[in-house]
Amino acid sequence: MNKYSFSSYVLIGRGDACILILWLHPTFNYFLLYDGSKVKEEGDPTRAGICYFYPEETPLEQQELLCGQLAGVSRCVAELSTSPVRLLRLRRSKFAVRMREQFLWALSSSVDVPDVSICEFLDQLISLFCFYNGPVRQSYQLHSRADLSAHWAKYLSHLQGGSTELHHIFSCLQTIDATKIDPLLLLKAALILQACQRCPLVLAGCILYRGRIVSTQMPPSLTLKVMVHETETYNQEHRPPANERSTFSTGGQSSTMTTPVFLNPSEVQALHSAGELCCFFSTSRSHCSPQPDPRARKSRLLSRTLSDTPFSEQDLTNSSPSASCQTMPCSHRSSLSDESCFSPSPGSSQDSAHFAATHQSEDSSHADSESHDYKLSNGITLSEVNGDSKEAVFGDKEETMIKTIIGSVEEGNSLTNGHHLTLEDEKDQNHEDHERHLHRPVKEERLDVGRRVLGDSPEKMWREENRTCGEEIDSELLPMVLYEHRVRALVLALLVEPQFPTDRTAPEEVYHSSLASLNGLEVHLRTSSSGAPGPPGPYSFAHYDCIQNTLTTNLSGRLPGPQDRSFVRATALLHSHFSHTYSAQEAIIRSAGAAVYGTRSAAQETFFLQHAATARNSGIPNPLDSAFALPNKARHRLLKHGVNLL
Amino acid sequence: MKCLLVASESAEVLFYWTDPEFELSAQEQYGASQEDGERPPAFEDSINTLFAPIIISCSTMVDQLGDSYTSFSTENNHIYVLHQFDECLYIAVNGDGEESEDDLKRKIYVLKKLTEMLFGMVTLSSTLLRKELRPQDTELRCRVWRKLQGLLETYSRLRDHDQSFLVEAVERLIHPTLCEQCIEFLERRLVQQINTSVDRAGEEVQHAFILVHTKLLAFYSSRNASTLTSSDLLALIILVQHFYPSTTDPEESTPEVSRSTFILTNDDMDSASAPEIFYTPEPSPTDNDSAELIADLFLSLTNQVAVDSLQTLEVPPQDPSTPSRVFLETTLKEGFFPMMPHSMYCLPMWPGITLVLLTKIPNSQIAMSIYNFLEGFTKLEKRLAEGQQGSPASRGQLPVNELRSKIDKFIRVLGSSDIQESVCMCCRLLPWCRNMKIQLCAIYRQCYVAEGSSRQRLSTALQDRALTMVQDKLMDWKEFLLVKSKRNITMVSYPEFPGLVHFIYIDRSAGQMIAPSLSITERATSELGKGPLAHFIKAKVWSLVGIARRYLQKGYTTVTLRDGDYFFCYFLWFENETGFKLDVVEIPSLPDDSAPIGMLACDYYRKLLRYYSKCQPSEVVKCYELLTVHLGVIPTEYILQHCSQLARKLWEPSRIPLL
Repeated sequence: MNKYSFSSYVLIGRGDACILILWLHPTFNYFLLYDGSKVKEEGDPTRAGICYFYPEETPLEQQELLCGQLAGVSRCVAELSTSPVRLLRLRRSKFAVRMREQFLWALSSSVDVPDVSICEFLDQLISLFCFYNGPVRQSYQLHSRADLSAHWAKYLSHLQGGSTELHHIFSCLQTIDATKIDPLLLLKAALILQACQRCPLVLAGCILYRGRIVSTQMPPSLTLKVMVHETETYNQEHRPPANERSTFSTGGQSSTMTTPVFLNPSEVQALHSAGELCCFFSTSRSHCSPQPDPRARKSRLLSRTLSDTPFSEQDLTNSSPSASCQTMPCSHRSSLSDESCFSPSPGSSQDSAHFAATHQSEDSSHADSESHDYKLSNGITLSEVNGDSKEAVFGDKEETMIKTIIGSVEEGNSLTNGHHLTLEDEKDQNHEDHERHLHRPVKEERLDVGRRVLGDSPEKMWREENRTCGEEIDSELLPMVLYEHRVRALVLALLVEPQFPTDRTAPEEVYHSSLASLNGLEVHLRTSSSGAPGPPGPYSFAHYDCIQNTLTTNLSGRLPGPQDRSFVRATALLHSHFSHTYSAQEAIIRSAGAAVYGTRSAAQETFFLQHAATARNSGIPNPLDSAFALPNKARHRLLKHGVNLL
Repeated sequence: MKCLLVASESAEVLFYWTDPEFELSAQEQYGASQEDGERPPAFEDSINTLFAPIIISCSTMVDQLGDSYTSFSTENNHIYVLHQFDECLYIAVNGDGEESEDDLKRKIYVLKKLTEMLFGMVTLSSTLLRKELRPQDTELRCRVWRKLQGLLETYSRLRDHDQSFLVEAVERLIHPTLCEQCIEFLERRLVQQINTSVDRAGEEVQHAFILVHTKLLAFYSSRNASTLTSSDLLALIILVQHFYPSTTDPEESTPEVSRSTFILTNDDMDSASAPEIFYTPEPSPTDNDSAELIADLFLSLTNQVAVDSLQTLEVPPQDPSTPSRVFLETTLKEGFFPMMPHSMYCLPMWPGITLVLLTKIPNSQIAMSIYNFLEGFTKLEKRLAEGQQGSPASRGQLPVNELRSKIDKFIRVLGSSDIQESVCMCCRLLPWCRNMKIQLCAIYRQCYVAEGSSRQRLSTALQDRALTMVQDKLMDWKEFLLVKSKRNITMVSYPEFPGLVHFIYIDRSAGQMIAPSLSITERATSELGKGPLAHFIKAKVWSLVGIARRYLQKGYTTVTLRDGDYFFCYFLWFENETGFKLDVVEIPSLPDDSAPIGMLACDYYRKLLRYYSKCQPSEVVKCYELLTVHLGVIPTEYILQHCSQLARKLWEPSRIPLL
């Protein structure tokens, strides 16, 4: 009744401080799994349907209340709309929801976490569970609720684990800080993975160091799943997990273990065909490896992988302006992009020599076989590979995506993937191509590509891989095995065929072929990761690679100042906007205190804020306004972080 | 697939509106759960059943968790938006992707605004409002619902097609000479004559304005009148458009053609009680008499229904000249009164051109007293509730008026006595206090809303005279005005901005906007071409307004966006009265569930101006917005230069003293 009384026209106060605290430690308020099939009759108590409730110490009445209400409302809405509920929002919190069969999952966070992020968290959580435990219904038939509850708790705490608020906005993977280590180590890691793939039972792998990715051959969604187990075992080295099948330790700091896991068919298919593709790439690459090739340097930069740390400023000036577009097909699968970084750097005879030297000194026994392998050639040209394999390699969705991108790049008269991976005899011509290409007006080309990419059913393309959750729950899951080989903080994780552990020779072979290299890598990583970070610079930025699901930022590791807070706030808003509006390419938003520039392409999103007291302005359109100089500044500043916005 | 419903706490549907698709899908679902052989129930009942679990869960959540649902979305992108006003829960649903979450929230707030306009302070008592929205009598209920449903449809149509309702600011016809003449005419001739006439039955014209479709030609307020707020003016235009809908096709609304297409929707008629009649006038353009006759008949019907919507059917036949009762916000020297009763005379001059008179009614003094008492009792109730919780009465509030000091004294007396006793007394006083407020609202209802409350009115002769006067004055301009209203300004007039596709300039202090016409029609070719491209640009403009609002809600006053082949800019800034640009200040970031950004339902910009004025206490602050759409190939420097020049150029016409 008093809504018209005197003070009703005060705007609602600023809650910045409070919002940011939540972002710094993003906690999930609630997580629940409710099985509607257990509560059918009038008399059935709600508690019978509660499979898991987080926080576990919540009073049972409260649990029942929330489960009952959410399940009831979700069912009612799902019936009215003939579609499962995805998001329930309340005034003070929001629930991402998944409904499959009779199950209901709900994950709640504060309202300040973007919708798209909380929904992704829930999907990750569910797919983690399915990866380690198989189909949900079956797991609850086979195991006790208490056991499975421990698993849910583990995955929850992993997802909430200590990364920055930016990581939570993008829900991305934690990578090792590539600026602090010698790029050759990344190269080495990739080589180890390649070597393991020579065993036909090995599908793909990744190398992790202290819970961060050093190198991976798997799509981001799979890498994320593998990392959970690694982090967990790293945290509690002495307690083996419940569903671990076998451990054969070889003493000392080195140990291996295998864990049964479950993959969905499209993941398996992707891994199978990617393995073959990798072989092709390995062999053909050896053709060009002895020659220093300027294009190779470019390709390293193009693929926004872990190993793309620039050596010098000169590198950057050499790089192709249309970098981001060209590498899309290549970098979609990490194994491919890793591949491209094998091409030695231009004028890097010194580098290669250095590499060879380190390599030999580290693993005297295995280095030979490895290097020998790389010099094999099966005579298959890469253009063939490029043409034939892309259909086989990727699942349907991915295929559409790749096709779209490749198509757009080709149409856009850009270099195709094949260009920097061609055989020697084509090299010269390609070189010219590339040179010519460099002189094309950069902006125009970028627009071209962007436009074409956007024209082709963009909804399908963006973040498609993150939407596999439904499939995960619905489809049949195929059993696989996760093989882990730990050397102190370094872990080699491989996805292998189910018969791998029982195979007579395979485990031994893989173990021995990688042991020495892993030891060497571990030593190097341990000694090199102590480098002090450079000054962060008078700006904040975040560069999100949508394909590899990785984030590069200069924000981590320092206490957030007021500018950083504005930056994070704006980034969340822009990321949310970009995820809804597929045609949006770049934006500048400005409040009184901060101006943030955001740009995105099919493969990446970049956000930039220049630290400086913003000059007083009136907000009226003014071409001299410093906010509008941000795109240029971002382009220049971010080059030295390996982010090419041209 | 659209639906909007209002439910009481006991899960009773007080009002609903659905489009045919939603009705169909709901009936199918309900039919599926129905036993064979049973007759399908009334749609009202099935919708009640379908939504009941949501409504009940909402109140459970509020009671048990102190939090309430604000929205749901499903995997096939259906959106549900929920909002609770007092004891009424509003639920808006969209399943066809045509409306965003913000649109749905806005629709809920607009429905709330419309009920306040129609029922005034009766809306302050949930008990009474429930009875007004859902009368026991079925036929009466049908009529109330049809009226509100019609108003909602009118609003949705305007929001989808009219730029002024997109940005929620009034659009004026840009013709300064004619405009000035009209204002002078309204002031010197019309209002003066009516207010000095003996036939005015105690009423006094306070505001008079002429609308050409939705655009304002001239507006005059008498000197002692309170300012008419932008929010009320926009709501009144919805009302006028509901009575006299204008077609969206400009070719069809030229006078000759529109006569024949002036189909009268009978959505205010109860099809159950009256035979299904569509008043389709004779197509002959010379048959003026019949057209006027029908227009009169229509006027009488709609006016009658507007006023008598709450009366039973025994009321004697409607009088064509009965005004609508509307409740408007007023600020008088006696103070601020949110919902003062006025009579609204809506006189159609020609199809598409309407003269609107707003009069102060003789017994409006009572409304002021009731409002004062209500305020007093609200405060008393609050104090009593505080006393009950044992917390000390809050101090340092705004200066108190006489009533307030009386109440304070009363409370202090209570406080000085034994604490136990006073708490006990508070318990006994509280329900009495609540009851008193309901009684006050009931008196208000009896005076202004109930049957017979609008017997007072300007005599028919006086109304006719007023209409004829203005018709004579504008006879020669009629056709010009109708065309002008469709082509107010065009992009052709801005050749100095190559690459500029569209812009909207808004003076938020005056609540007015200027924008080139975006005519979407198959027959007429606009500068945007016709067909798909024009539709595409229109859709872009609509979506960009939504994006700008989203960022403004979070405190960002400048947005530039490259979107497909277009480049979009949005700027909000403040000036003082002389046009000096004021510095930006940090604007609060509002939570997602805050009221929609706009002027129609909940005036965000008024709050923003007050907020800013606190930082610049000595100056009169004005607020402007500019949205532009450029072709993406234009270099950004030029685009920004354009925006700056455009803002300067557009500053001039907004100085015309219209409002």
